[in-house]
Amino acid sequence: MQVNLMDFWPRIWEATYQTLLMVGISLLAATLIGLPLGIILVVTRQGGLLENKPVFNAFSTVVNFFRSIPFIILLVAILPFTRFVVGSSIGTAAAVVPLVIFSAPYIARLVESSLLEVKPGVIEAAEAMGASPWQIIRRVYIPEGLSSIVLNLTIATIGLVGASAMAGFVGGGGLGDLAISYGYQRFETDIMIATVLLLVLIVQITQTIGNFASKKIRRQ
Amino acid sequence: MIQFEKVSKVYQHNGNDLRAVDGVDFTVHKGEIFGVIGFSGAGKSTLIRLVNLLERPTEGRVLVNGEDLTQLPKPDLRKVRKRIGMIFQHFNLLESKTVHHNVAFPLSLSGTPKKEVDQRVNEILEFVGLSDKAKQYPEELSGGQKQRVGIARALATSPDILLCDEATSALDPETTKSILKLLQKVRDEYGITILMITHEMNVVREVCDRIAVMESGKVIEKGSIFDLFSNPQHPTTQNFVRTVMENDIPASILNGIEERGASRNIYRVTFVDESAGQPVLSQVAKKFDVEVNVLFGQITELQGIPFGHLVVELQGEDQEVLRVINHIQQTVSVQEVTSNAG
Repeated sequence: MQVNLMDFWPRIWEATYQTLLMVGISLLAATLIGLPLGIILVVTRQGGLLENKPVFNAFSTVVNFFRSIPFIILLVAILPFTRFVVGSSIGTAAAVVPLVIFSAPYIARLVESSLLEVKPGVIEAAEAMGASPWQIIRRVYIPEGLSSIVLNLTIATIGLVGASAMAGFVGGGGLGDLAISYGYQRFETDIMIATVLLLVLIVQITQTIGNFASKKIRRQ
Repeated sequence: MIQFEKVSKVYQHNGNDLRAVDGVDFTVHKGEIFGVIGFSGAGKSTLIRLVNLLERPTEGRVLVNGEDLTQLPKPDLRKVRKRIGMIFQHFNLLESKTVHHNVAFPLSLSGTPKKEVDQRVNEILEFVGLSDKAKQYPEELSGGQKQRVGIARALATSPDILLCDEATSALDPETTKSILKLLQKVRDEYGITILMITHEMNVVREVCDRIAVMESGKVIEKGSIFDLFSNPQHPTTQNFVRTVMENDIPASILNGIEERGASRNIYRVTFVDESAGQPVLSQVAKKFDVEVNVLFGQITELQGIPFGHLVVELQGEDQEVLRVINHIQQTVSVQEVTSNAG
């Protein structure tokens, strides 16, 4: 049965909303987890502000572990945990849990690399001025690395848009799900094109905002 | 005042001990500008970091104003660090902050009220001559201006000591001069003790009261600028002195002397202090029956004391020349120069 694209618009808008919701909430939660993780990875590493080999190794291993699991496997494997957290293993909310677990370690690595770009000399200068480790994190690492962190978070956001396409497996909905279930599996080419175009638009807008924000922050 | 007491810093490198600083022992007095000069890898970067404990000594002690900082708990150490300013070769400014906020940074660390901070920042920017740049970002400034911001930031907390880590090494000669002038002003107006490390001899000559020469972690020679420049003992020191003062007689002149077969009556006359102001040689030419031929020479000023030497050829009877030498030795020092040695 062919579906008229014009009649189908409400479904597409709903899916767009679901995608933005999934990506937005996941990004927020994953950043809240990934940012401190990234900071820990930077300050505990060898030669870091609070060098601590066991802590660094433990966090680094955990991050690598989660980053090595393909998203579609992670999605299924943590179903019981998802049910425990959001009370259901299907739906948009249920898709957010694996998305967070998927992207938080990724964001941790991105934040880590952003903070490593902060010149060691600047950190040393702050130490020489009598700044405490916490002051250095809050007033040197984060402001100096923020512009780069924002650019990296843009990359993570776009990764999330891609991963959210697979949320259909847990009934999460979203544009990707629509493209797969109608466009791909039911050969509704025009719906597939419409949804893919929307995804392209979302990615473009995200990147543009990210670039702009990063530039702005560099010179607040 | 900074006292290094037989201080060593040993690193483990591939199972071997690497003595970056090896038994260093000297004192920097209050209000003094003390220079540590050495080639790269001599250990001077490590040495200066032992003062504010960015590096901890392995052996010996470093006393800052009589206090051994290694004994302090961390919060107290941070407090002491605010009394020790530091500036760097690459300035190490916060790129995301304006000049004003960079200078305010050390003050805001200790929670100084904003009004007080602003007042102090304006005052100190005025001192370093950057009042008009307060709202600009570091990347909009030249190297010299960035270092001025660095100095302003280091002075914001009114320290007793300023550590300069190759502070002029990334700057051109003109800018270097102006930064050194500023450092002198810092010492003269605030009485701050300055310890600077550098590999540039012209830097220490310009501003330091005393210097120590470092090589392979050890201090191989130390003394007043004047003593080290006028009479360097160690070959490395001599090399450094040579970088700013030509001591050797140029080969072309030596060759010319040999050709004329007159290599015997050549003397190096060294002028120090008052003797530099006396017309010794012209008196000689008048009093004695000799001709004075100046072959080569250099006169400079070290810490306000004129210093230099002339290489002269005395043409005349041997006996007359000897009388001349005896005469001028009363006011200046004279050394015979042979054709194969400078």
